[in-house]
Amino acid sequence: MTSNFIEMAALTDVGSVRQFNEDSIVADLRIGAAVLADGMGGHRAGEVASRLATRVVQESLRTQRHRFGAAADPHSPLRAIEQSINRANQAVFEAAQAEPAYHGMGTTLSVALFFDDRVALGHVGDSRIYRFRNGILQLLTRDDSLLRDQIDLGLISAADAGASHNRSLVTRAIGIEQHVRAQLHEDDAAPGDVYILCSDGLNDLVDDTDIELIVGSLRANLPLAANHLVQAAKDNGGHDNVSVILVKVRKRPGGWFARLVGWLWR
Amino acid sequence: MAKLVLSSGGSILYQCFLDGERVTLGRAPRNQVVIDDPGVDPEHAVVTTVGNDHILEDLRSANGTFVNGARVFLHILQHGDVVQFGTFFLRYLNPKASAEMDLDRTMLVTGLHGNRPTPESIPSAPQSRVRSARPTSVHFPKGRVRTLEGVRAGEIVDLDRVVTLIGRPADDLAVITRRPHGYFITHVEGRRRARVNGRSIGNDARVLRHGDTIEVAGQKLEFLPG
Repeated sequence: MTSNFIEMAALTDVGSVRQFNEDSIVADLRIGAAVLADGMGGHRAGEVASRLATRVVQESLRTQRHRFGAAADPHSPLRAIEQSINRANQAVFEAAQAEPAYHGMGTTLSVALFFDDRVALGHVGDSRIYRFRNGILQLLTRDDSLLRDQIDLGLISAADAGASHNRSLVTRAIGIEQHVRAQLHEDDAAPGDVYILCSDGLNDLVDDTDIELIVGSLRANLPLAANHLVQAAKDNGGHDNVSVILVKVRKRPGGWFARLVGWLWR
Repeated sequence: MAKLVLSSGGSILYQCFLDGERVTLGRAPRNQVVIDDPGVDPEHAVVTTVGNDHILEDLRSANGTFVNGARVFLHILQHGDVVQFGTFFLRYLNPKASAEMDLDRTMLVTGLHGNRPTPESIPSAPQSRVRSARPTSVHFPKGRVRTLEGVRAGEIVDLDRVVTLIGRPADDLAVITRRPHGYFITHVEGRRRARVNGRSIGNDARVLRHGDTIEVAGQKLEFLPG
């Protein structure tokens, strides 16, 4: 999938062990948005929560899309994300209250919205957003997880974290309480950058160094890179659902010359 | 539920379920687990419960704390671990944690509060990398490719990573993927597909077999399994 400024590839897989896929992904080129959610809750309620959250975010961003872009208020994309996450939280919370089978359901949620030469990010839970730039993979989100808390408080070292049994315990999720506070962050998106949204079924099974190697090697063929990431997680055990959205920032047509022409024509 | 089992000379002396937040170990009678050995400090070590983890911490004891023969200061206990205190053995049993399926289900818990960043801001500084929980049961083959022609003829490259590129980036490029059941070659970019034994590999992954000849971007290589 390609628009004139980004290219996207998205893949979700039930994994090698699970019966159901509780992850949901949306990659919408028209609004330049990538949305990924990893649901939780019994009797397939996790699937309901993650799907509802991604759809509400997509719809909310679509209705607000005309309000940001080149000439608009520079802060509005982040506000649009915050609002879309709040709406998703409200929708999942209300659905969980209304239907006993859905009680206690929730979901992680990661959102990336690309506009001009920037990207706005929103995050709740432990579905990560990475950026691959100039050969280096960097994690842009902080996991809302007990394991991350343990490391940050010095209770265990990052090197020992692989031995922890706490990696699936999230400390914040969509749909659990009436209000949720999301991590929000804006970043410049340079041509050649690849943004990676993934569920923990990827980063629990594939080391960051291998994610870096796969994205770095195969970024010329984004669907192949997505396919290799999911395949690597399954080859390493794949005991969770695995989802990934890759977004590559393309070179601006014309670059400085087009901008100069644009300026002369004003 | 997880428990600690204290034994000496082959007989079980005491069992303690890890249902509290803190279980102390030492020679002094006020400890939950009392270990009556002269080599053990009055307050020797402590086991703290955090989520699904039970973390053993040595309290700067004179003789140290050893898990499965290795000295530890801070250790996340694993099902079956044996902690030695002089002539005493303390075994950690947590059958639930050994069945990894249950633990993979995402669940919501209350976070730990300390001096942590405000939730709204995403840290810009690089975070310490957390290793993936890759099971050690997965075995990968060890293959190589040997260059057949040109100035680099005879050169051997180990295929010891998940992906190895061959060819030329931004031109004709293929990838060799290491998987548990063997190696595969796939087209990445470029007009001309790589050829194996003289035939184009097409668009799908193609398995590599002993002695296969690979041609891509003017290079000729031979695949050698490990």
